[in-house]
Order: sequence, then C-alpha cells, then structure tokens
Amino acid sequence: MIGSTKQNAILRRLAQAIPVVVIATFLVFSLLKLVPGDIAVTLAGDNASDARIAEIRQIYGLDQPFLGQYFSWLGNVVQGDLSRSLLSGESVGASIARSFPNTLLIVVLAILIALVLGIPLGVVSASRPGGVIDTILLAIGSLGIAVPNFWLAMLLVSFFALNMNWLPATGAVPLTTSISGALAHAILPAVALAAGGVAEVMRQLRSSLVEILGSQHVRTLHAKGLSPSAILWRHSLKNVSVNLLTVTSLLFNRLFAATVVIEAVFAIPGMGSLVVKAAMNRDFPVVQGVVFVMVLVVVGVNLLTDILYRVFDPRVAR
Amino acid sequence: MKTQNEHSRTVLSRRQILALSGGGAIVGLLGLPTFAEEAVAAGGILKVAAPSNPSSLDPATGGSGNDHSILWTMYDTLVEWDYEALMPAPGLAEWSFTGPTTLVLDIRKDVTFHDGTSLDAEAVKFNLDRNRGDARSNIKSDLASIDTVEVTGPLQVTIKLKSADTALPAILSDRAGMMVSPANIKALGEDTNRKPVGAGPWKFVSWADNENVIVTRNETYWRAGMPKLDGIEFRIIPEAATALRSVAAGEQDMAFTLPSRLKPVIARTPDLQEIVAPTLACLQIYFNYGRAPLDNPKVRQAINFAIDRSAFVAVGMGGLGEAAATVLPKAHWAYDESVADLYPHDPDKARALLAEAGFKDGVELSLGSYSDQDWVLRSEIIQSQLEAVGFRVKFTRGTVADISGQYFGNEKKFDGLLSLWTGRPDPSMTFSSLFAEGAFYNAGRGAEAELSSLLQQSRSNEDMQSRAVIFGGIQRFVMENALFAPLAFQFELDALAARAKGYRPNLLGKPKFNDMHIAA
Repeated sequence: MIGSTKQNAILRRLAQAIPVVVIATFLVFSLLKLVPGDIAVTLAGDNASDARIAEIRQIYGLDQPFLGQYFSWLGNVVQGDLSRSLLSGESVGASIARSFPNTLLIVVLAILIALVLGIPLGVVSASRPGGVIDTILLAIGSLGIAVPNFWLAMLLVSFFALNMNWLPATGAVPLTTSISGALAHAILPAVALAAGGVAEVMRQLRSSLVEILGSQHVRTLHAKGLSPSAILWRHSLKNVSVNLLTVTSLLFNRLFAATVVIEAVFAIPGMGSLVVKAAMNRDFPVVQGVVFVMVLVVVGVNLLTDILYRVFDPRVAR
Repeated sequence: MKTQNEHSRTVLSRRQILALSGGGAIVGLLGLPTFAEEAVAAGGILKVAAPSNPSSLDPATGGSGNDHSILWTMYDTLVEWDYEALMPAPGLAEWSFTGPTTLVLDIRKDVTFHDGTSLDAEAVKFNLDRNRGDARSNIKSDLASIDTVEVTGPLQVTIKLKSADTALPAILSDRAGMMVSPANIKALGEDTNRKPVGAGPWKFVSWADNENVIVTRNETYWRAGMPKLDGIEFRIIPEAATALRSVAAGEQDMAFTLPSRLKPVIARTPDLQEIVAPTLACLQIYFNYGRAPLDNPKVRQAINFAIDRSAFVAVGMGGLGEAAATVLPKAHWAYDESVADLYPHDPDKARALLAEAGFKDGVELSLGSYSDQDWVLRSEIIQSQLEAVGFRVKFTRGTVADISGQYFGNEKKFDGLLSLWTGRPDPSMTFSSLFAEGAFYNAGRGAEAELSSLLQQSRSNEDMQSRAVIFGGIQRFVMENALFAPLAFQFELDALAARAKGYRPNLLGKPKFNDMHIAA
C-alpha cells in the first residue's frame, strides 16, 4: 500500500517535470532570441556582407519563424536528438556527455566536503551556543559565505598548484581514465566551491540544533536522566536531518550554477564553460541542450529529496 | 580524452628513449637522414593553450580570426609570407601574372594530402571553385574577382579574372589558399567542419569542443626535415590568466596572445620565456560616417586630434603597443610615412574643429565596446580624452558578438565602435573590408568615388613598389578624411615554457608552430 503511494508520488513528480522542461527551455530560447546579437553574423565570418548574412540565416534555418525554430528543436528532443552546435557542428549530446561528468564530479565532491566539515562544526557550535568556539566558528562561517569563490580559487591555485606543486592548476581528467587523476584535478575546484557550502551547512545545522536543544521535548529527555551526548546524537540530530536534507538539496542545485565561474578559473571543460561559450555566441541548440539537462538534474534532485524526506520523516508519507 | 592520454604516454616514452639513447632510437623511427640533424630536431609534443574553440576546422566554413593558428597546422597554403613584413612568398604554388587578368599557379610536385591523394591542378581547381561557389563558403567575397579556374597542366592552374586583382596571391595565403583534400570533402558532403584532411605539417587526430584539438606529425610532409614536433595538443582555455597559470604550472608549453596586464605575471614567474612582438592588430575607433554627427569630417578629425595615443598605449595597453597613424604598422611593406604626423595630440585644435562643425557646446557621441576588463579600461581612457575636448560620450558595452553585431549589422547602433582590427595578409583586403562601398566593416556602407578608384587601382598593379605607392594614396585619403581613428597596434605577448624552443612570431600576430621543438 505504502509502496504504491510512493510510486504514484514519484510518477506524479516525473510528470510534473515535463511542463517544467518545456517552459524552462522555451524561456531560455526566447531570451536568446530577444536579446541583441545574432549567430548568423558570427557564422558568416570576418568578411561577411549583408547578403551573405541573409544567406547564412537561410542555410541554417534562422529565418524560420520564432515558434517554428523552437518546436523543431523540441520535436528532435522528443526523438532523443539534441541536434548539433550551429557553430562547430559537434552533436550537443556528445558535448554534454563529455562535459557533464566533469561538472558533476566537482559538485558532488563539494557537497561531500560541505557535509563532512559542516556537520561536525555545526554540532560543536550548537553544543555551547554563545561560547568562545561558537563565536569563532560563526565569524569564520560568515567569512566563508562572504568570500567570493573565484577569489578563493585563485588563492588555492597559487599556493597548492604554483608554489607547492602538489595539485594540478587547471584542467580535468575523466574518472574513467584515472580515478586518482580525476580527484587530483577536482579537489581544488571542489574546495573553492564548497567554502560557502560548509558555512551554510554549519550555520543551518547550528540554528536548528539550538532550537531543538532548547525545546520542551529535550528538557523531558534531560529530566528522564539521558546523558547529554545521547540526547544530541540519538534524538536531536535525527530531528534536524530533514532540515539538513533541504539545505543540501538546495545547495546541490546552487553549486551547479556556481561552477560557471569555477570552471573558467580552472579551465575545466564542463557544463558551465559549455553554456557560457554557447550563450555568448547565441548557439542556441547547445544552450537549449544544457538547460534541458540541468532542468532534469534539478527535477531529479528534488525528487530524490522528496523520497528521502519520507525516509527521515515518516509523517511526510502520510 | 583517451587520445590525449595516449599522447602524453607517447611523450614520456619518447623522452625516456631519448634520454637513454641520445636520440638514436628516434632517428630509426622517423627515418631521418643523419644523427646530427635529429639531435637538433628533437621532436616532442607541444602543448598549447589556445584562446578559443575553433569555429570550424574547414577553412571555407569557419569565420573566426582565431582559427588560423590551428588551421595552419593541418593546411598548407598556396601562398605564404615572410614573418617580418608579410611580403607574399611561394607556398604550395608559385604564381605569375601572365596578363593583367591572368594568374598562373605552378604547383609544387609530389605533394600529397594526409589521405594519400595528390595535391595537383585538379585539387587546386576543386578548392578554388568550392571556396568561391559553395553555399556554405564564407570566403566567396575574397575570391569574387575570379572568373574561371582552368587546369592547364597536371600541376598548373590558370585563373582568369573578371578584373585585375593583384591582391589575389596574398589572399591565397589566407583561408582561400588552404588546400583541403577533394576526396575527403566529397565523402563528407555537408558535414565538413570536423574531419579535416589537408596537406600541412601535421594531421588531424581529434577535436572535442571547448576542450582540445590534437594533431600529429604528417610523416609524408613535403618539406624535408619538417615538422620537428611529433604533434601539437591545443587545450582550449578562454580565460587568459588561467592559460598563463597552466603554463606556469608546467601543464602547457605555451600560451599565446595574452593581454598586456599579464606581462608582470610572466616576468615574475621563474623559467618562463616571454615573447613580445609587433603585430598588424590595430586598436581603433570605427566610425559610422553614413550619418550625423560623424558624417562631418571635422568631427571625425576632432576625434583624431583629441586622442593622446602614447597615453593610451601606456595606460590602456601596459606599454605593449605602437601608436598607430594608419591601419598599417611602421614595419609593414606598404606603410606610408606621410601620414605619420597628421594627428598629433592637440585638444585645442580638436575643440576648434568641433566649433567649426557647429558644435561649439560639444556634441553627443554614442560608442560601443566590450565588457571585459581590458576594453572597459580602454573605453574609459577614450571617454576621458574625448570629453576633455567637448564630446559627451556614452559607451555601451557587451560581448563581442553582441556589440559588433549591433554596430556592423543591420541595426546600425552607435556612432562608432572601439574595437580591434586583426589585419589581413594583403593591405587591399584590409582597406576594402573597412572602407569599400557596401563592406560589412564599413558601418555607413558608403564610399567616395576617389577612394573606390584608389582601391580598384591597388588591385590592378602587380609590382609591389607601385602598389606601395597606391596604398600610400589610400592611407592619405583615409586619414585626411579621418574615416576612422587608429589608436595603436597591439603587441603579441606569449609565455613559453623553457623547454619549448624555436618559436618565431610573425607580423600577422597569429602564431605558426612550424619551427618549434621541445627540448629533450
């Protein structure tokens, strides 16, 4: 019975993803077409005449009506074809298949760093709110959120890559080629990306924990004679796990966006650099493809979060 | 990606072999004549940070001026030029004008494409006809003067021209002269961008968009003992500071066309070679003289007098530039000295000219430029210099594609554009592109009869000295009428690892890697 409700919920969520994908890609497509700039001018090259630009528009179907261009793209997508870059002719599917793992690795690594550092720090902070350690951690946390990640990235490269020569300064290696190589290339970008995340996880955890530790329910546990550590680890953390899940899933989606800058600093051929280059040139099939995949990622993460909510908090399932 | 790693393994093993046997093993591998020659020509793989993804690897369908450094590794051109002054020289072919409208190309014998097919008269005719006729070709206008291309011998092509065009040899050193394999193009049909087959020193291996382009030695290259490098791996790194860091960290051997602001970084990084060299790339303000206020020559001259070019070079280009008096630098064979002192920095004169033009109380001027760090600084300098003489300047900044499209395209936004002209192999290409009637880079699209006739003449004379005289006339006309405001020529700035040897910059400012090797 519970199983089928769960399945229904998942199916419902997946069905909801369809209009989200259509609306998101249509909005992006409209934006690309509405803002000034024209890929036909880029395609026509250095010595183009007005006539040549008109000819290019015709060759590449850029003279088709706005809606026609969008729906012909959508029609191809439905058939599993993300079409090709107007500029280079590479298939968008191939570009994304190559770029996405690079970006995903950094983001996942950054989330792990944020959780592994953020959770213990949050617990320490909350265990004695207002204490010396709490105050210091709060200050460091604020700094972590305030420091721009590209600046931190450059500092990290300068020290770890250029001065100490411990880690590569730029680039990416696929996991399938070399696991150690992939991690070595991903660690600095992930740390730079995670800095704000660590602070966010820590502060969110701290505030929920402080609230719970001050609640009547915890006072009862104290009265019952439970040790403070049992109260913290067994009862309180379980209660804040739902909050933590929310923070993590929001963070995950946001870090995907933040890779745009980090990938530029580390010259990582990922989704961010792919979409920036394409958007600058109005190479809309590539932009559309990236947006399409990103929407799927966000919808997928949200779906996973929903499922995990049910695991952590059985009330959600009811 | 896999290929790249295979490559790096190759480098290692080759280096190891070299270390063990002093190069003897490689001599055997490559079948090169003597041990002594090989010791100099130690190969290696050059890793280059390239600033942008190629627009296409088919010379006919591409459009970006940044493609050439990658294209030249795979494609040899019919005509080449000397690195210092860009004087045309024979490449795959020797040329001669047998009449004012007849150009004969004698093709070098025993040249083959990477696919083994021979580069003969038929292949050259195929290329020229494709470049001037194919719907997807972006270089049709370069070859517009050609009437017919005839095969007049196994290795001879005779080109009949509609009108005299002595710029054609130089044009054949650009995209239009890059020879692609006809067999390959016929097999590919419309899909020619990504599978290049040429006759250049290196063969294509792979291209992953925004990631890398890899080429490997052409063992049957027609120039004896060339190329020295076993291969080149271009990694596409658009962010210049990141490209430089990758060289500093030993990941790449070379980063080219770096902005001047990185010069101090190169200087303080140990073990880097710094290359600074003049180029044809001209920073300038393009004028739309098709409408007010820049339809008035006095206003255009006022802008030219208002600019302090040496201050612009010092502040806006970190000193890495040559103040420009025209669109050709002093080192160029067609540079005309008489324009050198036409527009000294003279704010009073600028104000007087504005007053004469009827703008005693100043005039609004809308200019476009780009939003990256260097262009913002440059546009601020220009703004302050122009406002000092009474212009009220409004700058609009955006990406290159946006702003250039708005200015040169049909929208005709802005009165002028602060931008860069990257130069062309023949000056007549530059002048026609910028100032001829209807030309794309002439935002106003109009041209005076005298200029049109001079442009015509510059193409109907084959003697370089008399062409230089005609180009002198064009430069005087353009500058006296102030059809644009030249600012400065950008110097090429490259950073090379100590092991990267033999690089020679050229005046075009687009690196060729032919003479390079990696020190063992």
